[in-house]
Amino acid sequence: MEWNAETLQFLSQCFLHTLSPQPEPRRAAESSLAEAADRPNYGLAVLRLVAEPSVDEQIRQAAAVNFKNHLKTRWVPSNDPNASVTFPPILDPEKDQIKTLIVSLMLSSTPRIQSQLSEALAVIGKHDFPKSWPTLLPELISNLQKASQSSDYASINGILGTANSIFKKFRYQYKTNDLLLDLKYCLDNFAAPLLEIFLKTVSLIDSTAAAPGGGPPATLRPLFESQRLCCRIFFSLNFQELPEFFEDHMREWMGEFRKYLTTNYLSLESSSDGLALVDELRAAVCENISFYMEKNEEEFQGYLNEFASAVWSLLTNVSQSSSRDKLAVTAMKFLTTVSTSVHHTLFANEGVLPQICQSIVIPNVRLRDEDEELFEMNYIEFIRRDMEGSDLDTRRRIACELLKGIATNYKKQVIDIVSVQIQSLLSSFATNPSANWKDKDCAIYLVVSLATKKAGGTSVSTDLVDVQSFFLSVIVPELQSQDVNAFPMLKAGSLKFFTMFRGLIQKPVAFQLFPDLVRFLGAESNVVHSYAASCIEKLLLVKDEGGKARYTSADITPFVPVLMNNLFNALKFPESEENQYIMKCILRVLAVADISSEIAGPCIVGLTSILNEVCKNPKNPIFNHYLFESVAILVRRACERDTSLISAFEASLFPSLQTILATDVTEFLPYAFQLLAQLVELNKPPISPSYMQIFVLLLTPESWRRSSNVPALVRLLQAFLQKAPHEVNQEGRLNQVLGIFNMLVSSASTDEQGFYVLNTVIENLEYGVLSPYMSNIWNVLFMRLQNNRTVKFQKSLVIFMSLFLVKHGAQNLADTMNAVQANIFLVILEQFWIPNLKLITGAIELKLTAVASTRLICESPVLLDAAAARVWGKMLDSIVTLLSRPEQDRIEEEPEMPDIAENVGYTATFVKLYNAGKKEDDPLTDVKDPKQFLVASLAKLSAVNPGRYPQIINENLEPANQTALLQLCTTYNCQIV
Amino acid sequence: MADDSLASHRRDPIKSSVGNVAAQRRRQNAATVGKERRESLVRAKRLCRVGATGEGDVLVEENHMMTDEEGFLLEDQTSSAVKELKSAVVYQGKGAMQKRVNALRELRRLLSKSEFPPVEAALKAGAIPLLVQCLSFGSPDEQLLEAAWCLTNIAAGKPEETKALLPALPLLIAHLGEKSSLPVAEQCAWALGNVAGEGEELRKVLLSQGALPPLARMVLPNKGSTVRTAAWALSNLIKGPDPKAATELIKVDGVLDAILRHLRKSDEELATEVAWVVVYLSALSNFATGVLVKSDALQPLVERLATSNSLQLLIPVLRSLGNLVAGDSHTTSTVLIPGHEITDGVIKVLVKCLKSDHRVLKKEASWVLSNIAAGSIEHKQLIYSSEAVPLLLRLLSTAPFDIRKEVAYVLGNLCVAPATGEGKPDLIKENLVSLVQRGCLSGFIDLVRSADIEAARLGLQFTELVLRGMPNGDGPKLVEQEDGIDAMERYQFHENEDLRNMANGLVDKYFGEDYGVNE
Repeated sequence: MEWNAETLQFLSQCFLHTLSPQPEPRRAAESSLAEAADRPNYGLAVLRLVAEPSVDEQIRQAAAVNFKNHLKTRWVPSNDPNASVTFPPILDPEKDQIKTLIVSLMLSSTPRIQSQLSEALAVIGKHDFPKSWPTLLPELISNLQKASQSSDYASINGILGTANSIFKKFRYQYKTNDLLLDLKYCLDNFAAPLLEIFLKTVSLIDSTAAAPGGGPPATLRPLFESQRLCCRIFFSLNFQELPEFFEDHMREWMGEFRKYLTTNYLSLESSSDGLALVDELRAAVCENISFYMEKNEEEFQGYLNEFASAVWSLLTNVSQSSSRDKLAVTAMKFLTTVSTSVHHTLFANEGVLPQICQSIVIPNVRLRDEDEELFEMNYIEFIRRDMEGSDLDTRRRIACELLKGIATNYKKQVIDIVSVQIQSLLSSFATNPSANWKDKDCAIYLVVSLATKKAGGTSVSTDLVDVQSFFLSVIVPELQSQDVNAFPMLKAGSLKFFTMFRGLIQKPVAFQLFPDLVRFLGAESNVVHSYAASCIEKLLLVKDEGGKARYTSADITPFVPVLMNNLFNALKFPESEENQYIMKCILRVLAVADISSEIAGPCIVGLTSILNEVCKNPKNPIFNHYLFESVAILVRRACERDTSLISAFEASLFPSLQTILATDVTEFLPYAFQLLAQLVELNKPPISPSYMQIFVLLLTPESWRRSSNVPALVRLLQAFLQKAPHEVNQEGRLNQVLGIFNMLVSSASTDEQGFYVLNTVIENLEYGVLSPYMSNIWNVLFMRLQNNRTVKFQKSLVIFMSLFLVKHGAQNLADTMNAVQANIFLVILEQFWIPNLKLITGAIELKLTAVASTRLICESPVLLDAAAARVWGKMLDSIVTLLSRPEQDRIEEEPEMPDIAENVGYTATFVKLYNAGKKEDDPLTDVKDPKQFLVASLAKLSAVNPGRYPQIINENLEPANQTALLQLCTTYNCQIV
Repeated sequence: MADDSLASHRRDPIKSSVGNVAAQRRRQNAATVGKERRESLVRAKRLCRVGATGEGDVLVEENHMMTDEEGFLLEDQTSSAVKELKSAVVYQGKGAMQKRVNALRELRRLLSKSEFPPVEAALKAGAIPLLVQCLSFGSPDEQLLEAAWCLTNIAAGKPEETKALLPALPLLIAHLGEKSSLPVAEQCAWALGNVAGEGEELRKVLLSQGALPPLARMVLPNKGSTVRTAAWALSNLIKGPDPKAATELIKVDGVLDAILRHLRKSDEELATEVAWVVVYLSALSNFATGVLVKSDALQPLVERLATSNSLQLLIPVLRSLGNLVAGDSHTTSTVLIPGHEITDGVIKVLVKCLKSDHRVLKKEASWVLSNIAAGSIEHKQLIYSSEAVPLLLRLLSTAPFDIRKEVAYVLGNLCVAPATGEGKPDLIKENLVSLVQRGCLSGFIDLVRSADIEAARLGLQFTELVLRGMPNGDGPKLVEQEDGIDAMERYQFHENEDLRNMANGLVDKYFGEDYGVNE
């Protein structure tokens, strides 16, 4: 793409249209841009447009966004073989030009464009910096010095922002020599200029703030932003190890750091966003000193005392304020680090612990207005933080972390103090429950948060209180409270307590509360009914010693009607229409309870009506997944009891499934195919016509276009092949099936699925039906073997050949292969079967291939021929390896092709439905033990021809395998003579 | 038959074992970001305030802080001293030699007077060309000595000041030769030592001008301050990062013997300087390391560690020992054979260092142990049954972070069997069980919480061992009790992919909620 007036015009028009509210011009513009993006120098042209002052700002802004995204996909295009689209990479000359232009362009542009270009620059830097972009750092530094001389803080902050993003990689990569060389390069060049600009800004802030009234906020703002960026860069550059330069200049840095923690900047802090700005700097400082405290404690210890007291008094103030979260969190993290370090004795002094508890921990744990707001306005986010551990950066959680940190060295003291605090919070609640309910919440929160987490959230334990009596005296009264809508946060806390400590609450106590849990499903608060559902769901998973479920179907069956009713009703509350906790609870109840037809009926009606609703606009994938699982388990368990129910289920489900297929609800197609497979399998032949319609649809190539559907379609196809083998052989359908196999097996990402299809065909059809197709099948397989021979494919091929052999005999196997090319059977045996046999994994597969291989050497005339003695011996050697060595010794790690399910695009992906799963069938039920089968067959064979085989064995088997074979013979009392 | 589960039943291997990591943690000299070993930095340049020969005629004022005024005065005096020297150099008349010596002595006196010598003033006044002239061949010893002394203290200054010596280097090197008197050679060695201590660039210059062989020959005699000064200068000269000089040094005739002799017999002061030479030899040159190991250098190192209480000496000796162990697999496989006397000796001195109050000794000793523990099963058992384990366990819960990390490598290595070719190493169950019973798990879980990703990885690897290896499936319970689940959950969204996958994988595998339905 050449840069001229025409290009300028074309691009400007396109970007203008991308902003259009009308879909048509917008889509047209987007597609012409997408097309243009493949041309060389497109990126450069867009960047030039961004730089063109004559062009409207909003067009340039759109172009800047496009430029950044263009670089993201094409600077170094992904080489993932499964990626849906591959982009042509930007060529080196264009890259060089972009790199030459971008820094100066970024610095001269307006803030919004600057931030886009800075991100674009970071994208380049991620790949090219520093080795392939040696000019970047010198350019940034010289610009920084220029901007610094003129105190141009827009540019300074642009440069620092860029430096910050390119240095971030030092924060999380492993320490390798390459990384350290890069780091050293950055340090050698940037450490000194960084300190210089930091100190310059220090003095500017000092002089500005010294003015009467604390200086104009507008002047101070960019200065504080600049200092924050310096602190973040400090963090990156110090992350791997303490650099010499920073050690030499520690006093300068630490002195200013402390100043920012202890000084107030009134003119800025009087406004809330100004305060936020100063707090951000303070938080960045706290992160730096926490880090020094942990990793460089020896060098840092001289500063420790002053910082500890600075942070402490800062926290005492911040803790009283309801905003300032980030600062509170990072400051508490610093104290936590100190408390677990060798300098923990700072906390040992008389009175320190109670004070920390009172003035820092309790105020931060106490519910704040923000928490109440979140509870009401965004229940999903509230639950995520409160229940699911995404609260790592909340004040409540970090305050508890601080207590835990102190407890590593002062456990008894902490327990004593906190127990007292809990008692006093509870008695304050007792004096006036409705006014002081937050005290009780705080007490419950402390107990729950200070408990030690156990497996999968199944339970927790604590030294703080006696769980049983705390439960009875504090929690039970809340759960038995008649008004499910009163004090919802307290109810939620109590339900959470019950859920967390469910393993420790004895069955009779818990069981008595079951009706109350069911009742709370009717609470208006989304959090409360979600927690009630979650509590029931988790209770049903509790296992006693020995792994037996504590609550059984007999326990819950009496409640099921009202429970189900309440669960379905809860889904009618506003914002709970797609409540995943409730749906998961439905799933769990269906998995445990007895599914009588009285229950199955309303449930299938309820579930299908929800299904029809979500089909219109699938939103919450987790909810939808549990929904489909619920349907699957309902069908499975109900039909296990009473097969006559199947037609009722079909009647309910078919319309919904047909809607999904007909209106092409992409997200649900894989689920629909899996449910259909389940229904087909439950049917008795002959298959009804309505299924045959689907079968016909299934065989059209269009159905297979989307890779996300493939596993589910294969599953459905397998079901049909099993249940309707005769129909398959009609109207050329087998040809279509084999066409699908051909398509799947030709690509490495789907070949396994192709073999599933082929194996099912081989297993379920008569040889007479198959034989006309065999040449074709072998041709396809050999072609693939020639083109792309992965280990996975070779293993699948061995499994397929084995299956064919046990189903249709060794002779047919050899004949059909040799019909394609003379003598190819022996070649395939030697080159693929024998070497890959020892790589087979999985119990069923192992047995199958071992038995098939044994039959080959005992039955196949080709192998019994004296001329094939060596191949015979090598095959036996492989069989013995397969059977005698544990899996991990046989298998070398092979980089696995990413599974098709991992190919996550923006559309649907395949997610396996656990409850609609296929049972693994053993094609060889008559053979129990492949080892015994081997030696018994060999003994029989050798008896016919004594003296022949010991010699072959001696010549061809590895010594270890000879010994192993001998041992097998002894074990099974057989002899090879 | 072949259902979706065909490929999915493989065990998920933890990528690298504790053992492999520690064994690879050799010296990483390619990129030193941190301060080059603190002790050596202090050693890099030395001011010569009292004459090398001990006959200093300057009154050295200890602990005397100069006022600004005194400082200015000193600078003025220096400028005029240089002027005086200039005229003395030009002067050809009677008593010229004495005049030169006097002028040099005055300048030297000024440059030795305080901790902050007036180097800048001397350079500004043009001292270097004059001093070079005074070094010319055939000059009397006294003149050479004074000139070299002046240059020594100029070289002890700031980097640019040290660099100013460039024109003087060829002559300084020339005077190292056998024809020079000992005091002159020693003073020149001192000056060159300061130059070499400045950095890589000047070391390269010195090496290319042939400074190494004559310096090396100076350490051959049995004793004397000259040997000590030369050893110090050599330790600066071979610091690298290019290993060539170290290799060259060990090849010089007699040097290896001299080093071993000094390590065995010399006084502690000389042994200290020689031990630093060994530190750099063994840190940089594989060749030198091999030669040292084969010549039994371990023995005298162990003896020094056993008998000395001088921290100054113990640090380089211990570091040398560590380098020899880490640098040459021959050391652990054929010299430190369990059952040999030397092996017991090594473990014993390492235990002594672990007990010491000094942080560097504890850290270095743990590092050495971690490398021995990466060896054979027998090595692991030897450490395991030694006095080291209780000490290590205590350090793991009480020591500062950097020591804890080294200790964790030792304990981790004690629990994994050596990797045999391919495949992941097995764990040594008895050691794991007993160490866990003695309470080491909480220390490792603490590392999981660490901001240091290397330490975090180590913590996670050990956690994996516990989860996988504790009998009766007790692992998950123990990890739980130490609040390990919480520690691992912090990695849910970590930017380091490896750590994230490791932690998430462990949580899923051992603590995953049983999504399946009870069948």
